[in-house]
Amino acid sequence: MSFTNVGVEAAANPGRGAGSLRGGPVGKIQGRSSWQLAYARLKRDRAAMISLTIIVLIILVAIFAPLFASFTGHGVYQQFRTTGLQANGLPVGPSEHFLLGTDDQGRDILVRIAYGTRISLFVGVIGTLIIVAIGAVMGLTAGYFGGWVDTVIARIIDVTLSLPYLLFGIALVSIVGPSLEIVIAVIAFFGWAAVARVVRGQVLSIREKEYIQAARSLGAKSWRIMFIDILPNVAAQLIVYATLLIPVAILTEAGLSFLGLGVPPPTADWGQMIAEAEPLYQQAWWFVMFPGAALVITTLAFNIFGDGVRDALDPRVNQL
Amino acid sequence: MSDVLLSVENVVKHFPVQSSKRRFRSREFVHAVDGVSFDVRRGETLGLVGETGCGKSTLARCITRLLDITSGRVVLDGRDISTLSSREMRPLRREMQLIFQDPYGSLNPKRRVGSIIGDPFAIHGVADGAERKRRVQETMEQVGLNPEHYNRFPAEFSGGQRQRIGVARALALRPKLLICDEPVSALDVSIQAQVINLLADLQKQFGLTYIFIAHDLSVVRHVSDRVALMYLGKVVELAPVEDIFQTARHPYANALLSAVPIPDPIRADKRERIILVGDVPSPIEPPSGCRFHPRCPKAQQRCVDKEPTLSAQQGDRAEHTVACHFPVRPGEDLTLARPAIAAKDRIVEPDVVSDP
Repeated sequence: MSFTNVGVEAAANPGRGAGSLRGGPVGKIQGRSSWQLAYARLKRDRAAMISLTIIVLIILVAIFAPLFASFTGHGVYQQFRTTGLQANGLPVGPSEHFLLGTDDQGRDILVRIAYGTRISLFVGVIGTLIIVAIGAVMGLTAGYFGGWVDTVIARIIDVTLSLPYLLFGIALVSIVGPSLEIVIAVIAFFGWAAVARVVRGQVLSIREKEYIQAARSLGAKSWRIMFIDILPNVAAQLIVYATLLIPVAILTEAGLSFLGLGVPPPTADWGQMIAEAEPLYQQAWWFVMFPGAALVITTLAFNIFGDGVRDALDPRVNQL
Repeated sequence: MSDVLLSVENVVKHFPVQSSKRRFRSREFVHAVDGVSFDVRRGETLGLVGETGCGKSTLARCITRLLDITSGRVVLDGRDISTLSSREMRPLRREMQLIFQDPYGSLNPKRRVGSIIGDPFAIHGVADGAERKRRVQETMEQVGLNPEHYNRFPAEFSGGQRQRIGVARALALRPKLLICDEPVSALDVSIQAQVINLLADLQKQFGLTYIFIAHDLSVVRHVSDRVALMYLGKVVELAPVEDIFQTARHPYANALLSAVPIPDPIRADKRERIILVGDVPSPIEPPSGCRFHPRCPKAQQRCVDKEPTLSAQQGDRAEHTVACHFPVRPGEDLTLARPAIAAKDRIVEPDVVSDP
């Protein structure tokens, strides 16, 4: 799990030609923004659209997780010591009663996976938003101001990327105890630097453009140039980076929870479920398989969708 | 109200040379602009001419304070703006604006035209909302753009239209001074004429003052009232436009003028071209004395020793000044243009001429 190899370096800015592509030959020529064009390209990408459908379904599962509980009649924390456990104390497999089987405490895995979706998506989305916000601001600041500001931020980026996030996370959790906030803090703290580095590189080239000089000669303040003139030009990369960061954040959260550094029990969480299933994988394959499958399907959907977004925002990648 | 709108007084701009070997004690400088002085009068167009790398664009950026000047003064409307902070400078930016050379690079590709032209209004808090849109569309109309294209992106326009967008942005707040940095050199010849005519119309309509930077002498002749000719960071000749084109005094001016294409093969064949020897010397170590002396057919020892200053010559109008010890007399033949100073006495030129 690494934040550094999301690989959007190739997704340089979509270029000035993007706006000139037009729709059909008939009717009024409608000016379309590069965003509208990217959306049109994305809609033609079958794999990305399937992934998007899956993502929407996952989001619906997260929102309507309580429906799973009421439909099955099994609460997320509810232990079924008689029906949900075998006589020897092992969990029961998938059946009419427990569609995906039960865990080692006789809880319904289906319901727990549904609730676990909430944690994964929350950490994935919120963590990514924080990463992108911090990374963009730091990268813009370093790249635009240059000089000693750039030197300081670039060094902080280097140091951050050199820190072992797992050791840091273990140390932090052992001091303050495991919680959702700590997981997000660890993900954000170790994620922003890679974004900042990419943004900084882009800003370094954009700030030399004549339209930046034009803004300065109009008397625009630095923040205005950074956020109104430069940010839209790196937004495409940021969005690509963000969609590809969501699965990374989800996997990181699952990893931390697997190690007991994440959300504390009994909250339903995929990484934690896999950890609990680990000693029983020979007796209860469903216990490790279904949470694992949920994790893989989710991250795969986000990754394929992220690839599609990248292709849509940067048509030149296809030609390479 | 004084007749002079902008006064450039002995402006110097040196860039430190980034040498990887001596990174920490860089004592070398590119002398991009090296002591330039001139006045710009209200309502006139001052042409600023010179070949690539002579410091024209740097000078424009010094005047507009996009670059801090090393020494000297820039006086706009009686106020020295060369030492103002960026905060103090902000209200004065309404008074002078830049038009850029590259109509592709000077417009943000991610912003709509209305937003680009609306920038001056937003930055200076002049107009908001519907009022801003109305004034942007009014400005678009003034520069010959269709106001309905308000929501288009720069990529949807041609080069000439884009340059009109750049003009509209510069014109939006009705500046007194417009500095046009080679505004037409990136355009087709047919489009050049349109943009030049637009600039001329706007000048008439709004009483604008222009500094018109170009390397195309025919364009400069067409638009300028006076012309300043630069060579290696210095003004070598400053004169009313017809004086420069009829009786240029500086050998460099004569050489440049002899290179202007004549669209008539018979006349062109008759014309004697002055071929200069060598390249422009490095602005890092400019030649001593007169900077043109290593290439000048008339150079003598005095040109190596002493730097000439701008002064009027006998028989010229007072406002025709030239920086030359041995100005060219009318009818003088310079075509045997080999440098008068022997090669061994000349300053050895580095191979690489850095373009600032």
